[in-house]
Amino acid sequence: MSRGDGGTAVSPAVMSMRLPSQPGEVIDRHTRFTFRWNGRRYPAFDGDTIASALAACGERVFSRSFKYHRPRGLLTASFLDPGCIVQVGDEPNVRAAHRLAEPGLDVRSQDTWPSLAFDVKAANQLFTRFLPAGFYYKTFIRPHRLWPAYERVLERFAHGGSTSAHLPVPERLRAYDKRHANPDVVVAGGGPAGMAAAVAAARAGASVLLVEEEQALGGHLRWGGADELAAMRELQRRVEQTSGIEVLTDSVVLGRYDGNWLAVLQRGLPQVHERLVKARAKTLVVAAGLIERPYVFAGNDLPGVLLSTAVRRLVNLHAVKPGERAVILSANPEGDAAAADLERVGVTVAHVEDVRRGGDVVRVRGRGRVGEVQLRGGRRLECDLLVTATGWTAPVSLLTMAGAVPEYDPRAARFRPDVSRLPGDVLATGGILGDGSLDELLAHGEATGHEAARRARDKAAAVPVPALSVQPHPECFHGPTHGFVDFSEDVSSNDLLTAVEEGYDSVELVKRYTTATMGPTQGKLESVNVVAIVAEATGRTITQTGTTTWRPPYAPVTLGALAGPVREPVRRSPMQAWHERHGAIPLVAGAWIRPDAYGDPADEVRAVREGVGIIDVTPIGKLDLRGPDVPKLLNLLYVNRWSKLDVGRVRYGVMCGEDGVVIDDGVTGRLGAEHYLMSTTSSGAAAVWEWVESWLQTEHADWQVHVTPVTTAYASVNIAGPRSRQLLGRLVEDVDLSPDAFPYMHVRTGRVAGVDGCVVWRIGFTGELSYELHAPASYGLHVWESLLDRGQDLAVRPFGIEAQRILRLEKGHLIVGQDTDGLTRAFSAGLDGLVKLDKDDFLGRPELTWQAENKGHARLVGLRLADGSVVPDEGSQLVADGSRICGRVTSSRHSPTLGRAVCLAQVTASLAKPGTEVTVRLVDGRSVTAKVTEHLAQVDPEGERLRA
Amino acid sequence: MPETAVVARSPIAPAPPETVVAGWVVSGRRSTAGLVLTDCTPLAKVAVKATPHGAMQERLHVPFGRAARRSPALQAPGDALLVIGSGPGEWLVVAPPGAQSRLLEQLNAAAAGVTELVTLLDITHGRALVRLTGDRSPDLLAKECGLDLADAVVRNGSALRTAVAKLATDLVRDDRDGVRSYLLHCERSSGQYLFDALRDAGREFGVDVTGFEPAGI
Repeated sequence: MSRGDGGTAVSPAVMSMRLPSQPGEVIDRHTRFTFRWNGRRYPAFDGDTIASALAACGERVFSRSFKYHRPRGLLTASFLDPGCIVQVGDEPNVRAAHRLAEPGLDVRSQDTWPSLAFDVKAANQLFTRFLPAGFYYKTFIRPHRLWPAYERVLERFAHGGSTSAHLPVPERLRAYDKRHANPDVVVAGGGPAGMAAAVAAARAGASVLLVEEEQALGGHLRWGGADELAAMRELQRRVEQTSGIEVLTDSVVLGRYDGNWLAVLQRGLPQVHERLVKARAKTLVVAAGLIERPYVFAGNDLPGVLLSTAVRRLVNLHAVKPGERAVILSANPEGDAAAADLERVGVTVAHVEDVRRGGDVVRVRGRGRVGEVQLRGGRRLECDLLVTATGWTAPVSLLTMAGAVPEYDPRAARFRPDVSRLPGDVLATGGILGDGSLDELLAHGEATGHEAARRARDKAAAVPVPALSVQPHPECFHGPTHGFVDFSEDVSSNDLLTAVEEGYDSVELVKRYTTATMGPTQGKLESVNVVAIVAEATGRTITQTGTTTWRPPYAPVTLGALAGPVREPVRRSPMQAWHERHGAIPLVAGAWIRPDAYGDPADEVRAVREGVGIIDVTPIGKLDLRGPDVPKLLNLLYVNRWSKLDVGRVRYGVMCGEDGVVIDDGVTGRLGAEHYLMSTTSSGAAAVWEWVESWLQTEHADWQVHVTPVTTAYASVNIAGPRSRQLLGRLVEDVDLSPDAFPYMHVRTGRVAGVDGCVVWRIGFTGELSYELHAPASYGLHVWESLLDRGQDLAVRPFGIEAQRILRLEKGHLIVGQDTDGLTRAFSAGLDGLVKLDKDDFLGRPELTWQAENKGHARLVGLRLADGSVVPDEGSQLVADGSRICGRVTSSRHSPTLGRAVCLAQVTASLAKPGTEVTVRLVDGRSVTAKVTEHLAQVDPEGERLRA
Repeated sequence: MPETAVVARSPIAPAPPETVVAGWVVSGRRSTAGLVLTDCTPLAKVAVKATPHGAMQERLHVPFGRAARRSPALQAPGDALLVIGSGPGEWLVVAPPGAQSRLLEQLNAAAAGVTELVTLLDITHGRALVRLTGDRSPDLLAKECGLDLADAVVRNGSALRTAVAKLATDLVRDDRDGVRSYLLHCERSSGQYLFDALRDAGREFGVDVTGFEPAGI
């Protein structure tokens, strides 16, 4: 099968370095396709990484380095490879040695200009002596005014790819996702010990999540010989056949937090680009294996210098010949195995320089790639490949996050975790702990998995776990010349010495000053070398020098993965779809989506003042109150009296906090002997419910009151205007709407538009004759449409939130939170007549008593501007004596009814007297004069219309 | 003329074709998928409030955190009843559409002679109710809910309050014919949001919508 990317004018590359079939190869030679690399077509097989496919075609340079723009190629041939970070389509910073190639991918090198082969910014290498470690702390400082210019220049040199507004993944995928998991045991690492642990834990009855960073289980067995491959397949078979194991490949445990809360990043899913798995594990088993570390010498970053594991991956997993003529620097059996692999596939191994016998590499030379190696003693060898096998790093991050301390073991020439400090719910197994034969690793993994299951399931007898031996390894970190230590950040060993000479003698300070270990590899390749070089430079031992601190995340993670899918609850009334179908502009008010206006809000205002309009007010908070002690509760919550409220009556109330600050308002009606319906502000519904429950449950648990939120059980419609009685009368079947039978501030229940169980209130926020109708929400649309249908001849029309705000402002009705703020006590909100300080007690009474006695508080007033055409912005300051702030405009609109601006404002006490002239400072700097009005209401201050 | 007759509408838009069942506009769609989502909002829902561990709890015989298909205080044929102990001193009784009056009568009778304060409230129109059925339903919910839904933790008949897709939601495990099934209910105005979130989360498991059938709960 063959698939392509649509083609390009340039002839496609050929797989000149592809080897014949290898026993452990992961490529499917039956599925061949092409993708583009810097515009040119390249062939690949299914299973190829982007980098292996390019390397199979002879490509050796994949990126330019961070600071000096030196050409970089494969180093580790794994996720960590610092030389293979590329742009794929709109997705930047893709690990090309890990990401699988796909048909049609558009892969490009990052931050190179004009091309990868000829990058102008490589000129930075000419100024190396001027760009030492920490140069940015010493430059770009002065003059301060030039910083914006510096910033622009630095931006151009900043490393990394580019993003666009488009999704970085195909449309068929959702970009990011999340899920929760609650396994008994999480095993971090799917190598032999990890697989053995997972199987043992599952066989002991535990549910297991096995997390592996590579695309397949197996760890180092994957690129091993026949015996290793056979062992791997047997382990894979056991994992597959053991129930209770969920395997996540191409995934990584990013962090371990308190209570074994683990963040796991899952990649490469068919339906989602990346998923964050939030796992709460009873036991964590860390089986992260070992990471091979590079060697430091001159020229160690040239393309063609590879780690032994990289060579074995390329040859055995991807059937790629890494070079033609190799020199091996080997300090361990892995180096020897790499040499054997190379010879087996026809690469000339020119020389094996054995560190165990005193061998060393002095430098590598070449123009853009390895050309010659100089060994200790001066011998020079021509080659195009230098393979280093000089030691290991234990990736102890997850263990240190759990409390373990890495301790340097000179025998093994690496840090090993002191697991005695681990909490009981964290265990470790495999190479991260010690060495050993495959059988020993499997035995350790099995015992650890069994023990992990025991701990997870609170079983009694502990499982004995055998110790893992440690194999001696020469301490080799750097050669006799300086080279790169941190390939991601272009930090050299010379930079580290410079930092130490400048006084940064702590490894933590060196890290921050040089940025070593702070790049995309986050210390996994370079930490041990950094510590060793700093130790030498400071005259201390490696143990005395210690390590830097490992923090989450273990691997870089996209912000998208952390954010996940957008989940923000929204609330809609039963009529919202109707509003949208009829052209209403949606208004987001908290979680609610509401109709702001259907057209011109001024027209809607006029319709209400002159005829009748209806508005959807479903979001108004509603609490059903039952019980004999409801009056006690209302007296506690509200500043006014509630002891005597007859059935069928409604009262307006204001709630204050214990500090006397207004927190909510609304009307409460008495529907039955022990049945009340309280309304709250739309935004305050949830808070008021909590407030009420808090007082009932903590201070007055003896009161017989039940509170049930019923906000959305009812669809609420306000019918406002002089013809509202006429309209509602056509739909109400068993409620007498006549003014005498149903006066202002009363409530009735009945059947409306054929719907039983409706609550009809005669109240009015708009200042007009109006009724508020609460209908069982499932019939809300029917009632709404019935009102419009039956009121056609009355010219009924819907009005939105904006019109309602104008109407209420004309009437001088305050909105809590708009005309009040977090400091506004009741007497500052114009509620003097409502507050009953002679009540026994209510919330805020002491503070309000104090406020009433002191008098000097700000007050809410109405304003009439001298120039009625000017509508000051809400929030505009009132000023006195030229610039002294003495208040602010809290609400302002142009009044279609009055043909001028209407405002409410908070002013200092001395300016609150009606007729006082104040100055309003507009946002454009102009000042206008205004007078304090007699009443807050500027339309129908006597209330004749709403009582009609 | 109004676009609707006097029929009740759920907050969740019905998947076509629409039909009317027991006075409710519902989806007439029938799915045979292994994981299905059904809008069960038309079911009658009555909230009961009383003293925790009091006489009313004895009469309902359903503790907080559990749901039962039978209660000595209520009579209903077959499985047409679910009494959910949804909070301390709080129950939600669910029955077929239109059964709220009968439920209120029976509950009033059950409350007779109880000296503690008992509140009965028809909240049929105040809650959106969704059923999720299928073996993969725990996997779907794991994407939107942090709870461990393993058998050992949330067994059949468990009732709990949690956050699903960041929304305060009551969750009841109520298996159907041995197949994993959950009832989820939230305040009505967020019903469509919850339904959409569950559909979105269930795409990878092939979740499908199937219409409401009045036969059972």
